[in-house]
Amino acid sequence: MFGHLQRRSGVSPIQQRFPAGPDVEVADLLAAVTAEPEGGRLKVGDPRIVDFIVKFARKLLAPATARRFPELASLGFFLRRGEITKALAGLETTGDELRFPRGLVFHVPPANVDTIFVYSWALSALAGNPNVVRISARSAGAAETVIACLNEALAEADPIVAQTQRMVTYGRDEAVTSALSAACDLRVIWGGDRSVAEIRKSPIAPHARDLTFPDRASFAAISVDGWANATPEQRRDAATGFYNDSYWFDQAACSSPRTLFWVGDEAAAQVGRTEFLALLGEVVAAKHFVVEPAMAVQKRVSAYGVAAEGHATAIHFNGNAVATLELSDPADVPREWLGVGTFPQATLTGLDEFVRIAERKDQTFSHFGFQREELVEFAHALAGRGIDRIVPFGSALSFAAVWDGYDLLSEFSRLTTVTG
Amino acid sequence: MTATAEGVFGLAQAEREAALLPALTELTEHHRATCEPYDRILGSLGYAHGAEFGTVEEVPWLPVRMFKHHVLKSVPDDEVFKVLTSSGTTGAEVSRIYLDKQAAGDQPRYLGRTLQAVLGEKRLPMLMVDTIGIIKNRRSFSARGAGVLGMANFGRQHVYALDEDDKPDVEAIKGFLAKHGSEPFLIFGFTFMVWQYLYEVAREHELDLSNGILIHSGGWKKLIDRAVDNAEFRRAFAADTGLTRIHNYYGMVEQLGTVFVEGPSGNSLYCPDFADVVIRDPETWAEQPVGVPGVIEVVSTVPRSYPGHALLTEDLGVVHGVDDGDWPGKRFSVLGRLPRAEARGCSDTFSGGAA
Repeated sequence: MFGHLQRRSGVSPIQQRFPAGPDVEVADLLAAVTAEPEGGRLKVGDPRIVDFIVKFARKLLAPATARRFPELASLGFFLRRGEITKALAGLETTGDELRFPRGLVFHVPPANVDTIFVYSWALSALAGNPNVVRISARSAGAAETVIACLNEALAEADPIVAQTQRMVTYGRDEAVTSALSAACDLRVIWGGDRSVAEIRKSPIAPHARDLTFPDRASFAAISVDGWANATPEQRRDAATGFYNDSYWFDQAACSSPRTLFWVGDEAAAQVGRTEFLALLGEVVAAKHFVVEPAMAVQKRVSAYGVAAEGHATAIHFNGNAVATLELSDPADVPREWLGVGTFPQATLTGLDEFVRIAERKDQTFSHFGFQREELVEFAHALAGRGIDRIVPFGSALSFAAVWDGYDLLSEFSRLTTVTG
Repeated sequence: MTATAEGVFGLAQAEREAALLPALTELTEHHRATCEPYDRILGSLGYAHGAEFGTVEEVPWLPVRMFKHHVLKSVPDDEVFKVLTSSGTTGAEVSRIYLDKQAAGDQPRYLGRTLQAVLGEKRLPMLMVDTIGIIKNRRSFSARGAGVLGMANFGRQHVYALDEDDKPDVEAIKGFLAKHGSEPFLIFGFTFMVWQYLYEVAREHELDLSNGILIHSGGWKKLIDRAVDNAEFRRAFAADTGLTRIHNYYGMVEQLGTVFVEGPSGNSLYCPDFADVVIRDPETWAEQPVGVPGVIEVVSTVPRSYPGHALLTEDLGVVHGVDDGDWPGKRFSVLGRLPRAEARGCSDTFSGGAA
């Protein structure tokens, strides 16, 4: 596919997306990014970066942009000055510890989630690092808008931003990946197991580290009692939140819930399920969610596959948009993507039953109708062996500075100790 | 010289369905009894054992891609005689189709009976629009090679139109025509190759193909750039080479032995008597009315060693008419492929990047 690219000195040229500029060679890019900047190196929480990001966030929150890409509005909120200040406050050190940027960070975000690269980059930039972000050639829509907003915000920014913060696109060229990998102090790999394995073929320096975001599986759970006691409004909100969590990103984001567990009495759970699915059907209809024919076929292939392997006893389709599978056993929970709007279901007697089937791979557990104490007890029982986030319905996709068990700002910085 | 419909293109739609329905019902039960994963799928969809179906449309279907992800066979391991694999242009995924001895013998028999309708009983001299290399190099034996080899049985005195470097061998074609061109002869090839290597060469060298019968398959995707569709293909061959007996066909490895053949007057595919198509609405999955495009389901009573008697393809098609064409039954066209489902997931940095 990239055979048409002109090769110079054996290495593909790198397309500069932000700051927009002519193609460069990887060696020239690295030299520029790591050169001593005028006005001094970036610090943790550097005001020159904070100002730039705040201006950028304002552009994301412009009504026309936010309407077109709601996910960019979420991003804009995440990057408001107040939020940034709060996040940076967590980095303050006391006593003998001093915090500094980690160094050159190389980010490899996924191609299809248009906003991950911004979160990953912004937090690293706020920690004071020079960054090179590889943006997929397949990026589209929201990603293009993000890049346009970044370039617009650059006009009023300190020149250090353009010098140290780079977003680039290049073909499948291991030479470029290898050069960036060899030069970086931290490599951030999103995009699942295959990406991690692929990128890891390029070695990093002995002192450098990888921060990896491999394939994950996420779940939803409703308390049978909590559902029974919920008001009609709460139930409707739950269905809407669940819809947003699962249908946004085609249920394929690492934190999109797939299997829906009902926790409590089996007979009451059956009643709740029927009520919940009816509400979900209404939300899906109201949102005019369209499942393309190929996706509809994909859902059948996946759902039939789960049944073929003996893990589902019943499959129901409510149009193309909502498919449910009755799991033979909660322990058989599928962890792979089954197509948008495909929900295996099972009843658990209690959250402790999930603890027995949890795996390291499991990431987000979105919940409705539970008491906070139950959830805290659940987290203690899991004891970090699986599940990194326990969040209410509607928040599964909300990015946070703590992700996959990592406090990202901490990862993006380092500590020096001074004992007097 | 119109081909006769005797043999397998004889059943009007009502008779066809009346004949197919009990056979398909029996096959459904047979596969449930002998293929546990298939039985689980039907069970999970709520079909009772011994279920009766009112119409062919009601017979449960499997998406054809199931054969890429699961072992679906209705014969014991020790009776598997042959495993067919599909081409899969994307490389990674291939269908695996399991045949026992009986099935391996049935497939060419059904294919032969179907093609006899256009070829007649006698084996004709055969011009293969391919290279001998495609079947010589067994190690890189491809679906194209399998197709060529399978089809070679229907002719004799084969001549290959391409040399081993995939270049048109004009002398070989001229030699074939000098020897056989004054009596009926058979031409076989994949659609784009027939266009690129036979039509263009024949026009340039003013070759006379008027006694030929062309059988071709493979789809029009590669010819779209050249603005060649079926109508233009037929028009150009007739005008520039005299070739008018042209039969496109549609079939797939997951239902090998069953081919849907273009009738003599062109532009419609017909179902042999042991097969049918159901064009489904991708929203409701009910059968579309005549003239409305949908997803093609292919139905055939041939598959007995694996549950492939009712398969939802990933092709779009449309039925043009029923019992109103060259041959009885539904006549239809293939309109193209369903676009692949692609999710916006996190886990994707490399998937598809190599395409």
